[in-house]
Amino acid sequence: MTHADISVRAARQPAPGPLVEFTGTEKVFGNGFRALAPIDLALPAAEITVLVGPSGCGKTTLLRMAAGLTAPTGGRVIRHTDRMSYVFQDPTLLAWRTVAANVELVAKLQKVPRELRRERAGKAIEMVGLTGFEKSYPRELSGGMRMRVSLARAVTSDPELLLMDEPFAALDEFTRDKMGSELLHMWRSSRLTVMFITHSIPEAVRLGHQVAVLGTRPGHLIELVRSPSPPSLDPDAERDEAALHEFALRTTGQLGGARA
Amino acid sequence: MTVTGTAEPAVTEVRAARPARRKKLALVVLPPVAALVIGVALWQLIIVIWSVPGYLMPSPLTMARTVGDDMSTMWTPTWVTVRESYLGFVIAGVAGVLCAVVMARWRLFERGLFPYLVIVQTLPIVAIAPLFVVWLGAGPLTNTLVGAMIALFPVAANTLSGLKSTDRNLVQLYAMAGAPPRVQLLSLRLPAALPAILTGLRVAAGASVIGAIVGEFVAGVGGGQGGLGYVITESAVQLQTPQLFLAVLLASVVSLVLFTAVVIVERLLLRRWHESALPADE
Repeated sequence: MTHADISVRAARQPAPGPLVEFTGTEKVFGNGFRALAPIDLALPAAEITVLVGPSGCGKTTLLRMAAGLTAPTGGRVIRHTDRMSYVFQDPTLLAWRTVAANVELVAKLQKVPRELRRERAGKAIEMVGLTGFEKSYPRELSGGMRMRVSLARAVTSDPELLLMDEPFAALDEFTRDKMGSELLHMWRSSRLTVMFITHSIPEAVRLGHQVAVLGTRPGHLIELVRSPSPPSLDPDAERDEAALHEFALRTTGQLGGARA
Repeated sequence: MTVTGTAEPAVTEVRAARPARRKKLALVVLPPVAALVIGVALWQLIIVIWSVPGYLMPSPLTMARTVGDDMSTMWTPTWVTVRESYLGFVIAGVAGVLCAVVMARWRLFERGLFPYLVIVQTLPIVAIAPLFVVWLGAGPLTNTLVGAMIALFPVAANTLSGLKSTDRNLVQLYAMAGAPPRVQLLSLRLPAALPAILTGLRVAAGASVIGAIVGEFVAGVGGGQGGLGYVITESAVQLQTPQLFLAVLLASVVSLVLFTAVVIVERLLLRRWHESALPADE
């Protein structure tokens, strides 16, 4: 019999070890489709782990299991925190509420006291550069601005773990770069642990401390590549371009293998 | 010899839109008014040319006289119909939304109730109204319920489809934040379903007036207590065609007022966020 288990251990401070651990985690859907072969993967606390791979490699399934939205059919998922935020590919905003109300939404649902959530929302709105748009409705904003509202909402609930499912995929390249910078900015200011899904290798290389390269049929981990020159807490720190190039080639090479 | 290069370049100038509210208003109001005037003139002309007898088709002038003479006797039946149909509308609105909420929340109720809602909808209203008279007696209560009965389905069906098409990701967002079903319903599902609910109410506005009048046809209560439906049947029997016309006209006004009220509420509620209520070029 398979053993399925998700356990949550509340930890206020980021644990020195991994914040999320997948151990022999497997997923077979009700219709018999094997989405994910047993996988071992650890997300180090206060680091950005990027998942890349072709469609149908089980990236989103892993993310949803980390969030507790779906249970594994085998193995375990251990999450050492319950303070987490999920960012979808679409902004996923309430069309009938203002920017300010949308940013406060999750914190409000979590019953964060009004004063505190106002303060946090104000900071988050400032951080994503939407000051002055608090009273606008999502309909009145551009796609990039809506995505920023979504990011601001995610940090307003003060998460330890940020789960992001191709959050910038629908944006143009220019906006996408800016959003990447904003994510790094957020990571620097609050030492978040991030699980980030993308199709873009440049994005993976730019943002990741480690990149999990996944293959299909069934979804499995090909290799976990550590960045030779990870994003650092110092925003002005130079990154080793040559090493990053090497890192990108390695990641791409693994994906090429996955497609063959 | 052909001369080239002297042709004027094609220039399209896009001017800033001028604030032309008056012009716009004139464009909206004038065409239907003109059509009305022409229509009434033709009507009068046809009746004069072919000397159509008044019991078949009253002329606009006869109608004008009827309005002057008989309007005073029309207020009470109109008021009766207004009370019955508007109350029926409110009952259908509340019951329809409640039904839909229950069905959306518990699949079992949807499976159990929806077929019967469809049956209620497909029952020929003229056939079922006499049964209501038998059960409840002739009177406003019967007419109100007949109106509510046929207005119920559009509200329930539209609301249900609205409640069921809430963005899945938003539902998950609420679930992850630990929001209980009640909060999810009030803060997410119902507001998201609002455009659909209002569409249902628009259809219900017309339906409730039809129901009330059909009820009045069947119930046949005189003495001003029968509403416009009774006036219509009575005038028809007595070949008082001008009165018949006037009653029909008033019935459509009753319906139109309710419909307009729903549309105004819709505009006010959806103004800032829903496509359907936004100005065309924004």
